[in-house]
Amino acid sequence: MSSTLTESIKKTNAYACLECGKCTSVCPVALFRYNGSVGTRFSPRMMLTKAVRRNYDDLFHDYDLWSCLTCRKCDLYCPSNIHYIDLIQFLRSSATDSGIDCGKCSHSGALQALSRIMTAKDLKPNRLDWVTEDLEISTDGDTLYFVGCAPYFDAFFTDLDLSVLDAARSSIAILNKLGISPVLLADERCCGHDLFWNGDVETFKRLAEYNVSAIKNAGIKTILFSCAECLNAFKKLYPENGFAIKAELKHMSQFLAEKISAGELELASSDKELTYHDPCRLGRHLGIYDEPRQVLSSNNDSHFYEMKQSGKRSLCCGVSAWMNCDITAKAIQIERLNQAKETGAEVLAVACPKCQIHLICTLKNVPSNKNYDIEIRDISSITLERME
Amino acid sequence: MNRSNTFTFQNKPDQLYQLGITEPSPCTLACPAGVNVKSYVSLISSGRFQEALNVVRERNPLPGICGRICSHPCEATCSRNEIDSPVAISWLKRFVADYELNHPGTKPKKIKQTRKENIAIIGSGPAGLTAANDLIRLGYGVTIFEALQKPGGMLITGIPSFRLPRDIVKVEIDAIKALGVKIKTNNKIKGKDAIKKLMSDGFDTVFLAVGAHKGKKLRIPGEDTSRGIINCVDFSNQVHLGTAPNLGKKVIVIGGGNVAIDTARTALRVGAQEVQLYCLESRKEMPAFEHEIEQAEKEGVVVNPSWGPKQILSRNGSVTGVEFRNCISVFDSEGRFNPAYSEETKCVNTEMVISAIGQDLDLDFLGKDHKLKITKRNTFEVDKDTLSTSMNGVFAGGDAVLGASTVIDAIAQGHIAARSIHRYLNHKPLQQDKRTGSPQEWEFKVEPTLHEKSKRATMPMMDIPGRKNNFTEVESGFDEATAIAEASRCLRCGPCSECFICMPECGKEVALISGPNGQEASVFRIPPLYKTLDPAHSPWDGSLVTGKNIVPVRLNALIPFVNETLCRGCGDCVDVCDYDAVKLIPKTDEISIAKINDDICRACGTCVAVCSPSAIIPRYFNQVWLDQKFNAMDPNKKNVVVFTCQWNGSHIEGAAFPDFQSKNTNILFVHFMCSGRLESSFIFRALNKGADGVLVTSCSAGECHYDFGVSQAQKTVKTTRQLIHLLGLDSKRFAYSQILGADPEAFIQAVNEFIKALPSKDQPESVSKINEP
Repeated sequence: MSSTLTESIKKTNAYACLECGKCTSVCPVALFRYNGSVGTRFSPRMMLTKAVRRNYDDLFHDYDLWSCLTCRKCDLYCPSNIHYIDLIQFLRSSATDSGIDCGKCSHSGALQALSRIMTAKDLKPNRLDWVTEDLEISTDGDTLYFVGCAPYFDAFFTDLDLSVLDAARSSIAILNKLGISPVLLADERCCGHDLFWNGDVETFKRLAEYNVSAIKNAGIKTILFSCAECLNAFKKLYPENGFAIKAELKHMSQFLAEKISAGELELASSDKELTYHDPCRLGRHLGIYDEPRQVLSSNNDSHFYEMKQSGKRSLCCGVSAWMNCDITAKAIQIERLNQAKETGAEVLAVACPKCQIHLICTLKNVPSNKNYDIEIRDISSITLERME
Repeated sequence: MNRSNTFTFQNKPDQLYQLGITEPSPCTLACPAGVNVKSYVSLISSGRFQEALNVVRERNPLPGICGRICSHPCEATCSRNEIDSPVAISWLKRFVADYELNHPGTKPKKIKQTRKENIAIIGSGPAGLTAANDLIRLGYGVTIFEALQKPGGMLITGIPSFRLPRDIVKVEIDAIKALGVKIKTNNKIKGKDAIKKLMSDGFDTVFLAVGAHKGKKLRIPGEDTSRGIINCVDFSNQVHLGTAPNLGKKVIVIGGGNVAIDTARTALRVGAQEVQLYCLESRKEMPAFEHEIEQAEKEGVVVNPSWGPKQILSRNGSVTGVEFRNCISVFDSEGRFNPAYSEETKCVNTEMVISAIGQDLDLDFLGKDHKLKITKRNTFEVDKDTLSTSMNGVFAGGDAVLGASTVIDAIAQGHIAARSIHRYLNHKPLQQDKRTGSPQEWEFKVEPTLHEKSKRATMPMMDIPGRKNNFTEVESGFDEATAIAEASRCLRCGPCSECFICMPECGKEVALISGPNGQEASVFRIPPLYKTLDPAHSPWDGSLVTGKNIVPVRLNALIPFVNETLCRGCGDCVDVCDYDAVKLIPKTDEISIAKINDDICRACGTCVAVCSPSAIIPRYFNQVWLDQKFNAMDPNKKNVVVFTCQWNGSHIEGAAFPDFQSKNTNILFVHFMCSGRLESSFIFRALNKGADGVLVTSCSAGECHYDFGVSQAQKTVKTTRQLIHLLGLDSKRFAYSQILGADPEAFIQAVNEFIKALPSKDQPESVSKINEP
């Protein structure tokens, strides 16, 4: 194992590390880590050093290995072009392969367990109950809307009083208005993104296989996503792991931006002040920064504001892959809400259901001296309102 | 029920099941015999008279006797002293003893002798009776030798029957006899080889509880006058036997203790016209009970304090009077008995003097060459902790060791002797470990302003003229209402009133475990699982008393702790805990974290279930433990996981399911402290691990041990059902059922029905084909 791991580490360019410490200086975990609780500062550089020195056992049991948000900020700032988050992923999957499970799964691992159950071959999921009669979908067509785990989230996070499915409903409504009746897969499975970053590559691959074969059979040309992580899995992780899809893969914000540019979609100005939170998977992972902004600011320049950290510099929503959701995560989330509030926005637009859930969770339990009074909504939901 | 302490712990015990901590009250600590005073007073206040009496009997076999004449050191330490006046503890004890006489229940049965050893007890006073009572219960053969015609010792020869009716003494001694103790009366042991002879006659040990039956001498001139002077012991004996001398018109009693007062009151009843009592002590210093002195005075006894006899005046061998001198102090500056007198003297005419200044051990019965060591005070020399004498296998106690003392002290000595004899016969060192040593200081402080004053009940008594010339009992005892009202005055010092009625009445196995000092104890509820828990996970072990049986038990620390790195301070745990066991404390300027108070937490696990980041970590019912359970899935069988609540009583396993614990079905039972601990992840993890179905059972909402656990479980079940539906799993794979704790049949039925309804293993949506990575 250790020789393949060493090979993988080489591929990440880790040996080129100059120990300049830029990775640590831009890392949100390092910045917001509450020192008193863990005892040490979070240091991506030190973790990399341990990996280079093959101090694997130590690393696998290190809480920090599982605290990395894989937000990819370090990658972008590294002068040696080290693929830092790939390194983290290799280490995690190696740890998982050797039976070490040190990531602290939130909700006792319920969400991971759900994903794993979805690898059962002949499941007949009832996952389209939410599609109301006013929404037009088809079983046959060239545009597929990949719903993702939104139905599960709505059932699971009842206490948060949120509707992740609102993004899906809005997206379909928009598509309908533009004359598109999207295909929805009845036996869609979890994309496996979170399991991949948990280190469970094995299960990830099985889910990928299901999804890819289901889509291949359907003869789809375009796949639209509201979830930045699903898009990321399909666009990046699937091909990298041998599950390429020929269809065109787009985030809803990209689709909307295209329609606006083509003059097929005209939006009214917003009656609320807006700001936008970049999901790591959409922004730094896939380089999609402009399209969501184009949608939000279209005919709406005076109502759209950027946060202190945005685009490439954007601050992560604090939790990744339902793991190590902790006091540091909360500190990051509070900071992000502060940044949103500072813009004067009334609505924080998101392009990923995970960001939405994490930020709403924190919004429910903010310090008593804070009053954010801000809505956190998906970009499609906001757009649909501006179409009416 | 047996409440003896058989389990101790070195560290603080698992507090999960702890319902309360007991601490001895000042009254209990003050009782030489160790009677749990607080407990029986508490039971009396709730009208549980027979149970109260049972508590008394655990440490005192003579409740009716002590209820009348005990010196009740308990009352002297009663916390009510700081507010008004002490609870009438002694009279309450008398009340419950009388209650049994009037409401006879089951009679004591003879105890089978299970030990081959026989024990000889010399003397049938309170020390001998107590030792006999303890030893017969341990299975020994016990024989008491009594020199007089009737058993009871000082109880009948020393205490007048108007204070302690003889039928009360007889009832309580008969109860001890009924257990199998043989009492041989008119059987005086005497001679220097008497003890050796007993040993060769088949007795393995001897307990000398011969009492102090020789009146102390005044040691003043004229004491040896042949007519007109008698000591109190002889006087009392003669009265008892009906051979009292003619006392004439005027009697002088010398002494200031209870015996002197008894003697003076007795003298009035056997014909004396006038009784003058003289004592060294001032009125306030008199050792006799104040209420006894008052009664004596009411009956006509004239008390003359601060006078010491100088000489007995006589003519022709008959007493004519006593010369007294004025005593100005009884004790010297160092507290020793060393009376000082002034020059003042007075002569008092009388034809009869009764001295009542104390009693001594009468050693004549042993002859001159006995081998036992004797103290300077003319008592048997013993080790005070074990009561062993200088002769191996021979123990001594009661007045024969203490000098003339009280009944309750004699009872205490009887217990010590019995314990030592038991250890001696089991070849254990006589000296016990420290925790059974002397009681600790009482630290409880009453706040007088917090309690309302209330009047102590008065003892109903026969009117003065009625007492003339008869020995009918003066005090007539409380009625039920008075007893309950008086017992209700008790402040219940300490955290628990120690009535322990919770223990036998609770269907949930309540147990009492003593603390390391032997003084305080904890009341626990022991969920069924803990009798058979996997020892590998348990830091505690030992045995404890539950109901009738002593069961080995292993306790686990179940209180969850908060991982301070993971906790986000959302406060969901605070919201869910009705016990207020969780609080948020500031960690950073903006973020608080949860803190669990171990003393309040009852380990239901509901907070663990609602904790989103899984930061509250239970020490036992955690993921690792659960995964280990799930590892017992059998890929060749139908696997069924059944979640149950510890308190539900549905801890039935294995044999109750003959149809399924067979070749084709594997049932895994998972017992939580409460169904509130349930998380939907448990169901999905079970399915991941190869379960074909998961059944969750809980109490009904109204029956939940923790009140709020079931409602949390219901929420989780609702979420789980939705997710099961979304996943497309057969809804029969997951079921939830509320079962009454008292209805194990319903539980068995629910499990059976669930298994029968399960889809077959070959169904296409079966997830048992999933292998976890």
